Amino acid sequence: MITRDDIIKIARLAKLSVEDDEIEALTHDMAEIIGFADTISSAVQDGFEDFDDINNITNAFHEDEVQESFDRELILKNRDGGEQGCFLVKKRSGRIK
Amino acid sequence: MSWEMVAGLETHVELSTKTKIFCQCTTEFGGDSNTHCCPVCIGLPGTLPKLNKAVVEYAVKAGLATNCRIRNISKMDRKNYVYPDLPKAYQISQYDKPLCESGYIALSSGKNINITRIHIEEDAGKLIHERGDTYIDYNRGGVPLIEIVSEPDIRSIEEAVEYIEKLRLIMKYIGVSDVKMQEGSLRCDVNISVRKNGEEKFGTRAEIKNMNSLNFIAKAMEYEFNRQVDILENGGCVVQETRRYNAEQNTTESMRSKEDADDYRYFRDPDLVTIAISEDEIKNIKKSLPELPGEKLKRFTEEFALPFDDAELLTKYKKIAEYFERSCKDVTNKKLVSNYILGQMFRRLQTDTEKEEFSIKISPEQLNELVLLTENKKLSSNMARNVLEQMLDTGKSVMSFISESDMEGIDEGDLRAICEKAVANNQKAAEEYKNGKEKAIGSIIGFIMKETKGKADAAKATEIVKELILKN
Repeated sequence: MITRDDIIKIARLAKLSVEDDEIEALTHDMAEIIGFADTISSAVQDGFEDFDDINNITNAFHEDEVQESFDRELILKNRDGGEQGCFLVKKRSGRIK
Repeated sequence: MSWEMVAGLETHVELSTKTKIFCQCTTEFGGDSNTHCCPVCIGLPGTLPKLNKAVVEYAVKAGLATNCRIRNISKMDRKNYVYPDLPKAYQISQYDKPLCESGYIALSSGKNINITRIHIEEDAGKLIHERGDTYIDYNRGGVPLIEIVSEPDIRSIEEAVEYIEKLRLIMKYIGVSDVKMQEGSLRCDVNISVRKNGEEKFGTRAEIKNMNSLNFIAKAMEYEFNRQVDILENGGCVVQETRRYNAEQNTTESMRSKEDADDYRYFRDPDLVTIAISEDEIKNIKKSLPELPGEKLKRFTEEFALPFDDAELLTKYKKIAEYFERSCKDVTNKKLVSNYILGQMFRRLQTDTEKEEFSIKISPEQLNELVLLTENKKLSSNMARNVLEQMLDTGKSVMSFISESDMEGIDEGDLRAICEKAVANNQKAAEEYKNGKEKAIGSIIGFIMKETKGKADAAKATEIVKELILKN
């Protein structure tokens, strides 16, 4: 059972801003999503312990050999603000319940 | 009323692989900000991580060296939390199938501190706070870590410190990390609670972070123990929370309550495939492990007949232990080698870091040459001491400072004559010695050494001098 308080708690954990009039709809949506996950879980039968590994692939490794990193210009291309080759952390403007 | 401390440690050790855990950027420390980065380690959407093979090997080594059971099947999980040092808003870590489980570290008291698990994960980027703004450097993001989680078996600050020191030394010996606390390649968080003596049930715990030295860990534990005891004795309740150690004020302060911190919504990372390690692979890694500090200590005391304290000091520094062993080749009395290292050489190395690095001008082979000459009575111990000083100053070998005649020694007749002269010239000291002042003999022996330029065998000379004085 998903409650209004659950939504407020999850929003706070995810640092999302949620308006009062959105909470009811979100509670409903969340309940549907969880319900769907329950349906999937109930489909898992005994003997399928590793249900989370659907690919059956193991050990895809990279060797411990250094490859050149990207140009800093490219790495920083999408940054908004910042100096001395660093990203800037934007101050949060949204309210957190 | 007396209270008991209950503590468990979470130790993060940065692995010294060449590349990061999920990409092939370098893990080198330093470098201009954001120059050791690629789309994977800055968490761009659509990029795919691929696990570093060496990280698995190093973690298995760490597990075997701490008596852990290694899982044949393991996987990576996402630990979700929103903080700017993690660009993906989750850290790739391990949740319910860590690589290593159920190990222990044995303390010198014989007590074991059990290790719950060791898992692999990625390090976060570094936040730089300047003039009210926060900047991010992702060079460290994606550097591989192992997290070693102990059971709450620790009952005192001394046990905590010994546990960390032992763990640190093991990691150093097996070469998986440089474990420098001051550079952050070994970091410890302490979970601590208190309970009344004799009680079985654990109290509510607090997690203490932000300690970058053993000294600070000890201080933070002491402060936190007293804080919790004060609260309980005044009828209050300890709150479960994460606290930060403030070194300037030597206090701990609340960072966040457990309610906000502990909902990581772990789930398997679908981008990373299952890790499978066969028993054969585990066996091979086990075979590749070097002798561990505890085993070395045992061998130094039992086979080399060194006193425990000497052996402990020698094994405390990996390079010194290796240097010592190489210097011991063909030497019967290993204590002689140990004395030179722990005496004259240690005097030149003041700090722990200096001992750790052990930059000494002479090679173990050069020390070995000197020790063999002393052991075969070609050089008096006094002369050897002087020569060693000169060797340590210049890096030159023993033969640069002594001649053939120096090695001939002095025959007993000549030595006796010199001793007689020494006693005659130091009547006052001889008299004092006769009257029970043992130390007075020192100046007479000093005279002999000066006369013979250090060639005399001090023990033999002392014997003769005593005989001469008592005869008079």
